[in-house]
Parts: sequence; structure tokens; C-alpha cells
Amino acid sequence: MSGILLDVRNIGKNFDAIAALSEVSVQVEAGERIGIIGPNGAGKTTFFNCVLGVLTPDTGTVYLASEDISQFPVHERARRGIGRTFQRIELFSGSTVRDHLLIAERIRRGTGNLWRDLTGRGKPRIEEIEACDHVLDLLGLGELANRPIEQLSLGQGRLVEVGRALMTQPKVLLLDEPSSGLDHQETADLAETLLEVQASSNFSIILVEHDVELVASFTDRCYVLDFGRLIASGATQEVLTNPVVREAYLGENIS
Amino acid sequence: MLFASSVAEDFLRGILQGLPPGAVYGLIAVGFVLAYKTSGVFNLAFGAQAYISAALFFHARNEWQWNVVVAFTFAVFLVAPAIGLILERLIFRHLPPGSALAKLVIAIGLSVALPHLFELLIGFEPVGGRTPEGLLPNGGGVFYDPFGVYPLSRNELTALVVAVIATALLTALFRFSAIGLQMRAAVESPRMTELNGIRADRVAAFSWALSSTFAGLAGVLMAPRFNTLAAPDYFNLIIVAITAAAFGRLMSLPRALVGGFGLGILIAQVDTFLPRFSANNSWVKAIEDNVTPAMPFIALFLLVAFWPPLRANKDQVDPLSGVDPPPQLPVAVVRTRFMTNLTHSVGVGFLSVVGFVVMTRADKSWVFLVTQAAIISLILLSITVLTGLGGMISLSQGSFAAIGAFTVFQLADRTGMSTVLAAVIGALVAAAVSGLLAIPLVRLGGMWVPIATLAFASFFDAVVVKLPFVGGGDKALIEGTRIPRPVIGPWNLTNDKTFLVFVVLILIVVSAGVIAIRSGTLGRSLAALRGSEVASQSIGVSPVRPRVIAFVISGFIAGLGGALLGMQQENVNYAGNFTPYATLFWLVLVVTLGSRTVEGAIQGGVGFSLFDRIIFRGDLFGWILRDPDRVPGFFPVSAKWRFVLFGLSTIGFAKHPEGLVESGKRKSHERMERRRARREARKSLEGASS
Ligand SMILES: Nc1ncnc2c1ncn2[C@@H]1O[C@H](COP(=O)(O)OP(=O)(O)OP(=O)(O)O)[C@@H](O)[C@H]1O
Ligand SMILES: [Mg+2]
Repeated sequence: MSGILLDVRNIGKNFDAIAALSEVSVQVEAGERIGIIGPNGAGKTTFFNCVLGVLTPDTGTVYLASEDISQFPVHERARRGIGRTFQRIELFSGSTVRDHLLIAERIRRGTGNLWRDLTGRGKPRIEEIEACDHVLDLLGLGELANRPIEQLSLGQGRLVEVGRALMTQPKVLLLDEPSSGLDHQETADLAETLLEVQASSNFSIILVEHDVELVASFTDRCYVLDFGRLIASGATQEVLTNPVVREAYLGENIS
Repeated sequence: MLFASSVAEDFLRGILQGLPPGAVYGLIAVGFVLAYKTSGVFNLAFGAQAYISAALFFHARNEWQWNVVVAFTFAVFLVAPAIGLILERLIFRHLPPGSALAKLVIAIGLSVALPHLFELLIGFEPVGGRTPEGLLPNGGGVFYDPFGVYPLSRNELTALVVAVIATALLTALFRFSAIGLQMRAAVESPRMTELNGIRADRVAAFSWALSSTFAGLAGVLMAPRFNTLAAPDYFNLIIVAITAAAFGRLMSLPRALVGGFGLGILIAQVDTFLPRFSANNSWVKAIEDNVTPAMPFIALFLLVAFWPPLRANKDQVDPLSGVDPPPQLPVAVVRTRFMTNLTHSVGVGFLSVVGFVVMTRADKSWVFLVTQAAIISLILLSITVLTGLGGMISLSQGSFAAIGAFTVFQLADRTGMSTVLAAVIGALVAAAVSGLLAIPLVRLGGMWVPIATLAFASFFDAVVVKLPFVGGGDKALIEGTRIPRPVIGPWNLTNDKTFLVFVVLILIVVSAGVIAIRSGTLGRSLAALRGSEVASQSIGVSPVRPRVIAFVISGFIAGLGGALLGMQQENVNYAGNFTPYATLFWLVLVVTLGSRTVEGAIQGGVGFSLFDRIIFRGDLFGWILRDPDRVPGFFPVSAKWRFVLFGLSTIGFAKHPEGLVESGKRKSHERMERRRARREARKSLEGASS
């Protein structure tokens, strides 16, 4: 399985009586873009939480580049190459937009230590600032770099999350409904930017989305979750036209 | 003989001995849970409320010569609920739900302010060396011995009976009255009551009144167990209450009651069965003598650190995150470089003038106070690191400072080591203890860090200080815990002014370190964790390491500060400087003035040492009027007002979590920005018209 970058096998997770995930397996190849769709409460966010280790699944294993990372804490998994954004936006209140990216860049470089801090060499270096500003420019946030995060709109906040995740130079980027809070044009811009960045640094993306149009245009393959179970998977176009999927998920869209 | 074995007899004796205090603990725990569950306030001021009722009862009996029934009714059923109602109505009602840590900080402020305010208002002075009387005459002198193993005093029986009656009344209230049913619903599930359209305000107000009555009742019943009547004793009660309540996961009233009884009996059993070794080894004896009263602290620490169900009550991580409006960037970050340089120059200029005046003109007492201000500022910087940068609240900074001071005392006393070197070692020891303490705690989040550190501080206070190799034991009782001032080369620090220069230099170095940390990797990691733990982890920030390092640094600074304070006073003076209750005021100063900036800490130090002398004694007024005789008659004002003033200022924490200094700076910054905007608008208008 040389081509498979992220291999999630048989994940199961229960919350009290609710089976949020059962026997979910997902494979992602290097450089691939896949989608996960499903109705509200299907377990998509829970799946991301299990992959990153925010939640401990009851069953199942997660391999990243053939390494079993199931026992690692969240930050170790992140350092090994899993980046993510959050459906319920998670920003650092009291920081500027650029600060969000700077800390990610510093952690990625791994050059920070207490002695450097104490001797006044802990401040952001020029090359770090430039790297952050480059990503901010790509996302159209260049103007806002010095703004306090509280002054941003929800959509801009989402973009900051994307930028922050990109700074870690992930191998796999997990995007949890990145389009909510963005208008049509902004969504298209974001998709374009992601494609651009991905083309230059070749990472994989898992996209959780309710915007079917975006899923259709952005992903090659997709998985469908319903009540915690995988009910379909395959090439995106086929899955989206699958009658079972249309009934479970797109039911209301058939007119 | 009824009992075959003496073990069974001892056991029964332990139970009987433990029941009366257990009953009182149960009352406190029930009252505490009541307020917590209905309003989300982790009421650390509960002990202060108990103290006020106890002291009022005492005062009414002894000073005002009131009848016992009248005094009891007044103290417990009138004043106690009134205080609860006032606190709820004026303060806690207005705080948004979910701001648990802001509420906790305010409760800490109140536990500093309320006892002093009370003492000032009725002219009460803490009582020492005398056992306060109970409800019934000669309560400590009449005994009943129903089983022939343990004679219960009349006071103990009263406590037991009153607790049973109170519990019965509370149960009846919950069963049969409308408001009681609503309260029960609120305690069991606050969200459900909202759905059912119950007026949460009324329920909260009533619960506070009831909860405070329990505090008052417990206070009066508790008083005869001490041989003092002072606020710090009662502050410790709160830990007992939390421990008892923790057995019920802070959720259940009956379990809190049972927890109280259990704790009372546990203490008595430990007291009975603790093995007694022959007292050759003096530190073993120190532990034997003191571990019993420290049981609640040990139990609480272990429960918080290692009992997962309790931690399910996890709240948000950042004390500043629940507040509304959200915290803003420090002004220092948003204002222009020119303004920053200007303010810095003005600040440095002002300090230079002060320094010059102090070095040339000040007398011995002024030099002492200024030096103390500098040292306290240094200690407060330890809170800046932990609370301002790390978003964590520690209530054991006093213990870390004391570790620094005691280490210097011990090393100097035993080895004659230079106290400068000893101070560095002391700071390192404090840093190590602080870091070890942090490891199990930092992931707990929210309010559990302050609670567990408070438990540690109380344990340190009750047991560790008593160990001969820490506090000096019996020898120190006679000789004191003396610390000589060092001589470094040509510098003789026994000279007060030289010592002041020495302290200021250290303060400058540490301040620079704190500023460097804030803008470095550690400060940024802490800021990220404060903002969102999960998002920080998702970019690779460990949720443990930066926080433990913050604890280590904070412990180091506190230890160093403690050592310097000891050097200045040439004595550790543990009781005056470092007890858990006394050092609450440190936290209060930092959070009210500004926990995120070095300035806030320095102003805190000034507030601690100089406020009294400059403002309250009327010196500043006299200087302004150029005539000491024209100072108004109400000067000098009691130094206790300091505690009231800063303690009550914590209420502002909910609105201005950045502190008074920072919010003042923000206001003036915004004013200037507006003025500039107007000027520019005018200019462009003129440009357009010409
Ligand atoms: N921490 C939790 N505790 C208890 N139940 C949870 C928790 N997180 C999720 N659930 C439950 O698990 C199920 C799956 O939730 P999840 O958030 O993963 O769905 P989702 O597919 O992301 O939905 P949406 O499209 O609304 O984001 C839901 O029924 C939810 O209520
Ligand atoms: Mg979701």
C-alpha cells in the first residue's frame, strides 16, 4: 500500500447510547482530494476528531504514512502532518491574525526554546513573518494581518483557520465545512487557492461539506456517512448520482 | 464492658468524635453546592461569610450584651441571608453564564474584602487566645457520654442537633414548597428549569439567601472549635466544604452532606489510628501532629488531580475567555511606535525622579516601603506569567515564595552560605516544586487549577511549614527564622539603600525576562492555548509543556521574591508574609490592576506597600496642601480599606479582564485616536473647500 498516505481502519465511537461512528474505514492517497458528506449528525466531525485524536475512538486504528499513530496525543499527530480546521470556529482570542500563523510556523520549525525566549531571540524572525504573510496574501487576508482576531467576520475567521493549518505544512488537511460563513464567490476563491497551494506542495485534503457543488467540483472521490455508517464511496460523480445516497442525504434536493 | 476489642471501641470513639464537626462540614458543603448549582459561582467567599456571622454573634454577645437568641437570629437569619441577597443582586446576577473563572476571581476578591469591610463597619478586631462561646452557656464544659467511650461536649451536641434540624428543614422545603421544588429542579438540572419557564432569577436569589444562611449557621457553630476568631481560620473552611462537596461531584446536596460527615469522621479516625512512632525523629512527630487537620487538603488535592469524574465539570480554560466583551489586544501592541516610546520615556523619567528622591531624601521607613514595593512587584510578576500569559490561576504563590525564603534561612543557618547563592537555590527549589505540582494539574483546566493549588497551599501551611527542616521547628519558635543580608564584594547589602538598588536591578532583569517570554515562543504558545486548547494542539502545541514551564518560571520568580522579602525583613516571617489567606491579596492586586503587563505587577507592588502610607495616612494630602495640620479629620484612614478597595475592584474583572491600568490606557488611547481622526477629517474638509 505504498500510495496510501492516511489509512483509517474500522473506527467506531459511541457516545452513551448514540453510535456516532461504526466501522468506518477511509483511505487517502498522497495528493488526493476526497470528500465526506452526510446529513447533520452523521458523524463527520466525530470522524475528524478521531483521526486527530481529539476523541479516543472505541475501536479502530489510524495510520499516517504507514505509521500507527492511534496512541499519539493530538499535538504529536499534528506535528506528524495532520492539519485541520474546525466547524465551530476555534481562534486565539486576544491575538492578531498574523499571530495565529506565526505560532504555527514557529512550532513547525521547532526552533523555539526557553533559553532563546529569555535571551530575547524568541521574537518572530523576518523569514517567519514573510512565510506567514505569503499565506495570508494567498488567502486574501494580507490587509488584515495586524487586525485583532475579534474584528474579523466569521468567513474571514475561517480563512484564518485555513491559513493556520497550512502553516503547519500538513500531509493531510482536514477541512470541516470551510464554506459555511463564506458567500459563493469567496467559496470559489478559497477552492482555487487551495488547489493552487496543493499543486505547489502536494498534500492530501479531506473535505467535509454540505455544499454539494463544492464537493462535486473539488474532490475526486467521496465517502457518504449516515448515522455513523459508511453507506457509499467511490468517484464523486458516481456517488452523487447514486440513488441510495440521494435518498439518505440529498432527499430534500430532489424536486 | 460493651466492647470486646479496644479497636472497635476506638473506632466508635472516632465516629462520635467526628460526627459534630462532620455535621458542620456537611452544612457548609450543602450551602456551597446550593450556590454553585443555582448560579454557577464557585463561592470561595463562603468562609468569609461564615466568619462574619460568627464574629457578629460574638460581638453582639460580648460588646452589645445581647440576648443569645436575639444575637443568633440577627447574625444567622438576618445578616447572613442579607449578605447573600446583596451579593447575588449586585454582583453575580449580572455576570454572563459560563464565566466561571471570572466569578471565581470575584469570589476571591470578596473573601479578601468582606471580612475587612465587616471589621471596619462594626469596629470588630479579630480575637486571639480565647475560645469563642457556643450557643448554650458553658458549652465547652458540660459533657454527655451516652456510650461510655467519648464524652460529647454541649457545644458538639448543639452542632449535631442544629445540623439535623437544618437538614430536616431543608428537606421539607425541597419537598413541600413551590420555591423549594424549583430550587431542587435548578440544582438537579439548570437547563431543564429554564425550559420549564421557572424564573431563574428568583430561584438564584433565594438559593443565595439560603446558602448564606447555612454559611452563617456553620460559622456560629464552628466558632467554639477554634481558640481564635479570625478570617483566615474561616477561609480554610472553604476547602473543607469543597472537599465534602467533591465527594458528590459538586452536584448532589445529599452527597455533599454525607461527604461532610464522612470527612469529619475520616479526620477523627485518622487521629485515632495514626501510628505514633517514638518521637526521636522530630520531623515524623511534626507530621504526626499536623497531618490530621490537613486531611481535607490532602483529600481535595488527590480528588482533583486523580479522580476523573470530578474533572468532568470542566470549564473553559482562559479566565478571560468567558467574559464579555472578549479580551482585547494590549494597547502596547496597537498603538504607534512613537506613542510607545513616549510612554516608556515618561515612565522611565518618572521612575528616575522617584529613584533620585528616594536615594537622596527618603528616611529609613520610606526606603523600607519602596524596597518592599519592589520585592512585592517581583513576586507579582510570578502571577503575571501564570495568569496573564498562561491564563491559569494559582493560589499557592505564597507557598512558592515561602519555599524560597525558608531555603535561604535553612542554608544560611546550617551552612553559613552566602544568602545570594542561597536565594538562587531557593528559587530553583520553588521552581521544581511548582513544576511538579503543575504536571497533574495543568490539563484540568478552568477552576480546578486554583482549587488544587489552594489545597496545596493549605497543606503547605498546615504541615510542611511545621517540619523542622523547613520552618525550623521548635528552635525557630525561640530564635525566629533569621536571614542575614549578604555582602557581595564591595556591596554591603545591610545598607538599606544598597539593598534597594540590588532589588531594583533584579526587578529590572526579571521584568525584561517576562517581556521577552511574552513575545517569544513560550508566550505565544500560552496565548494560543489560552485562546483555544484544541486548535493549539492541532498546530502541534503541547497542552502540557508550555503550561508546566510557565509554572516553573512562575515558581522561580515567586521563590526569588520570597527570598528577597525574607532578606529585607531579615526574617522569613511566614505568618505575616506567606499564608494562603494573606497571599490571596497578591492575586487580587494583579488581576485588578493588570495581569498581562509588567506595569500591572509594579503598580500592584506599589499598591501593596505604599498605598497605605501615601493615601490612607493623608501624607499625600498633607504634601499637596503643604500643611500637615490642614489634612481633613478623617485621615488617617485604616489600612484595612486597602483590602476592601482592591478586593471589591475584582468585580470590575468581569467587564475589564485586562485590569484597571490597561483599560485606562485603552480609554486614553481611544480618545487620542478619535481626536486624531477628527483632526484629519477637518483637514481633509479644509482641503476640499479650498
Ligand atoms: N462530544 C459529544 N458528546 C456526545 N455526543 C456527541 C459528541 N459529539 C458528537 N456527538 C453526537 O454524535 C453524533 C455525530 O455528531 P457529529 O458532530 O460528528 O456530526 P456531523 O456529521 O459533523 O454533523 P453536522 O453536519 O451537523 O456537523 C451526533 O448525534 C452528535 O449529537
Ligand atoms: Mg460536523
